[in-house]
Amino acid sequence: MRDAHTSGRKRETAAKAVFGFAAAFSVFAVFAIIFYIFYAALPAFREIGVFHFLFGKLWAPDKEFLAVSERFGILPMIVGTLCVTAGAVLVGGGIGIFSAVFLVAFCPKKLRAPLSHLIHFLAAIPSIIYGFFGLAVLLPVLDKLSPTGSGMGVLACSLILGLMILPTVTGIAKDSLEAVPSAYFEGALSLGASREQAMFGTVLPAAKSGVLTALILGTGRAVGETMAALMVAGNAAAFPTGLFSNLRTLTINMVLEMAYASPGSLHRNALIATGAVLLVFILALNGILGLLRHKKRERKIRPDRPPTPAKSQKPFSEPVFKKRGGLPRTLKYLSAVLSGVVLLALALIVGFILIKGLPAISPAFLFGPSGNAAASLRPAFVTTGLLILTALAVALPIGIGAAIYLSEYAKQNSRIVKVIRLFTETLSGMPSIIFGFFGVIFFCELLGLGRSVLAGGLTLSLIILPTVIRAAEESLLAVGDSLREASLALGAGRLRTIFYVVLPSAVSGIVTAVILGIGRIVGESAALIYTAGAVMYTPQGLLSEGAGFAVMMWKFSGEGLYLDYAYATAATLLLFVAILQALVALCKRGLTRGKRA
Amino acid sequence: MKRQNGWDMFAFEGETAVTIESLDLYYGSFHALKNICMAMPKHAVTALIGPSGCGKSTLLKTLNRLNDLIDGCRITGSVRIGARDIYAKEVDVSALRKNVGMVFQKPNPFPMSVFDNIAYGPRTFGVRKKAELSGLVENSLKAANLWAELKDRLHKSALSLSGGQQQRLCIARALAVQPKILLMDEPTSALDPISTGKIEELCGELKEAVTIVMVTHNMQQAARISDKTGFFLLGDLVEFGDTGELFASPKQEATMNYISGRFG
Ligand SMILES: Nc1ncnc2c1ncn2[C@@H]1O[C@H](COP(=O)(O)OP(=O)(O)O)[C@@H](O)[C@H]1O
Ligand SMILES: [Mg+2]
Repeated sequence: MRDAHTSGRKRETAAKAVFGFAAAFSVFAVFAIIFYIFYAALPAFREIGVFHFLFGKLWAPDKEFLAVSERFGILPMIVGTLCVTAGAVLVGGGIGIFSAVFLVAFCPKKLRAPLSHLIHFLAAIPSIIYGFFGLAVLLPVLDKLSPTGSGMGVLACSLILGLMILPTVTGIAKDSLEAVPSAYFEGALSLGASREQAMFGTVLPAAKSGVLTALILGTGRAVGETMAALMVAGNAAAFPTGLFSNLRTLTINMVLEMAYASPGSLHRNALIATGAVLLVFILALNGILGLLRHKKRERKIRPDRPPTPAKSQKPFSEPVFKKRGGLPRTLKYLSAVLSGVVLLALALIVGFILIKGLPAISPAFLFGPSGNAAASLRPAFVTTGLLILTALAVALPIGIGAAIYLSEYAKQNSRIVKVIRLFTETLSGMPSIIFGFFGVIFFCELLGLGRSVLAGGLTLSLIILPTVIRAAEESLLAVGDSLREASLALGAGRLRTIFYVVLPSAVSGIVTAVILGIGRIVGESAALIYTAGAVMYTPQGLLSEGAGFAVMMWKFSGEGLYLDYAYATAATLLLFVAILQALVALCKRGLTRGKRA
Repeated sequence: MKRQNGWDMFAFEGETAVTIESLDLYYGSFHALKNICMAMPKHAVTALIGPSGCGKSTLLKTLNRLNDLIDGCRITGSVRIGARDIYAKEVDVSALRKNVGMVFQKPNPFPMSVFDNIAYGPRTFGVRKKAELSGLVENSLKAANLWAELKDRLHKSALSLSGGQQQRLCIARALAVQPKILLMDEPTSALDPISTGKIEELCGELKEAVTIVMVTHNMQQAARISDKTGFFLLGDLVEFGDTGELFASPKQEATMNYISGRFG
């Protein structure tokens, strides 16, 4: 009797340790990524010199007659990155905030849900499709406007990146606007302000820190974006001088030259060092986010005092907008127009790609043989299938284990939960290309997996891990405590309660996690090119190279001959993404319905 | 024999089911139960009454150690079930909870079939054979007066039942592991009068087999079905005695005020 009792207790303790390890995995992953990137970059920093590397104006690795300290300067790329990021934030941040305001305050109720779905869809479209859209649709238009006849460069890049970060900004800004206590809005109305005055004069300023968070997350996305930038930037390693001047970002430098930098060479180490600099940017943005959140929490601790007109709450005693109509009304129309622009952009992307791509899809193209003579998507189907299996096999158990630890074992809001959340968020904010480089250094080389589907899948497992953790945790927390109590009161242990009662009730959230993960895998390119490879043939197993849809598409669009194929692949990808989005929406609906029951 | 684990390890001799001595309970620094002493007889219904927040649920949860789950919850004093100190180091909490079942305020059936809900407890303690499980399910449903209503719907989801049926299912689920004590925390507060009547009736039948400790908000209910009643106020057990006596001639003024409806 006693034996069963102690062995049960041992099992519970062991399980807790296993879940705890899974939860700590994000922390290890973040440290491993930072460590290995910097470690591999070290020789370059040492040989070139940090100062020469960061502030050198010339990037010409092959000019071997120059001193090492003179030909490995990334200042043009730092400037390029900053330029297009600023442009993207201006475009995407501005439009994103206005469309969030529109969604929250001015949008007809019936349109709110469909619009939100469309914005989610925009967020789910893979980078490679944005890049291809830029290449095939935007550039020809800009070519006509450009004095040089080439539309590539700062403007094109800013527009495309802006469009890409828009859903991030809109989503978070919308959440923070909705979180503003309605007392603010109603208070302003009761003082005679119009809806638009209340919105722009009172609610938006009250949501300031959330809006700032949205902009910073958008900035992070723009800084780290690779494939889309690569296709429209022109890629010359020179300082940008105008809207139509070519540029190269840090990410472009990494992905562009990795193909021909031989292992162990200074050139390659310098590319990894470029990654290290990118990582510093990303971590700095994360730091700012952390500070912002910290400040917000401090403010929240003070008792919630709804603003009263008597107190010197500025918007009330002294409305920002004195006259009815005027500026606020203009801003309202602007928010509607800009939301329209977003829809138009989405319609353009989807329209162009489906119109040009669908006719090019044929059974032979989808499933026929592929090799040097003919191209088909068969290798992409096989590769993607293998990548999904590998990535899920690793990320699901770890992610669900971490979620179990966070929701079932850790004290809510304890320090350990905060640390794990912070690192999970840091992981989710890392650019694909950083994961790609880490994959090359760690999985391909250190673990000796070589360039293979397995290495690619393992890299992807790190990418989707935060998504899995978040979705699983959310759905576990949504399971009522009364079910846990019922099970424990029957004498069941924690483990049995988790596996037989809690997890089955959280199934739809876990399915959501799987679908979101698959969506990310299907569209991923930058992380896969150098880990899984960019070949046209079907992989023979986990240890051979293979390319998924997005990488295939990149190859097709790079070699001008295959533009039709690129359109067809893009259309296929878009259909996948749409189906997965629809499934996620269904799951979410199932979740809310389940809760009501 | 794995089956034996937790099934029969509880010594349950003597006349008294639950003996509580100088029990103090703290949630962090909040003193939720103050020096409680009471003895609950076997095969009887003991009712705990008192205004909201006075510690009734808390006391109930000390009897099956469901308080163990709450961070910062600290207990001193002793609680014995039968002859056994349930807070002693070597106590298997799982076996304790098998012997001390619980029914909650809001019906909380698991999102699975009626059958699986009731079989959940026995399966926890190693019963695997289909025939044995079926027998347990049938007996438990019969004991909860649900067999006639549900015998054709055993494999339907428990969530499709009415509120009253769900609560009786929860009682059946608790009975399936053959507990010696059944704790009920305001089991009828979320139900309609007819379902409430059925559950009260059920309590009367069940006390032949199990000892019942019931928290109730409803004084008529306590008066109708209980043998002993304890009145709580702000963490103190103000008065504890035979139900008839307590309602007819309360010794304390606070009890008097409460049962005559002057506060609470
Ligand atoms: N988990 C907990 N943590 C802190 N305080 C609690 C907790 N549970 C209950 N309390 C407090 O203990 C007191 C008694 O609660 P409870 O036993 O639920 O009262 P009752 O069931 O009589 O309404 C209340 O003041 C309540 O706020
Ligand atoms: Mg209670």
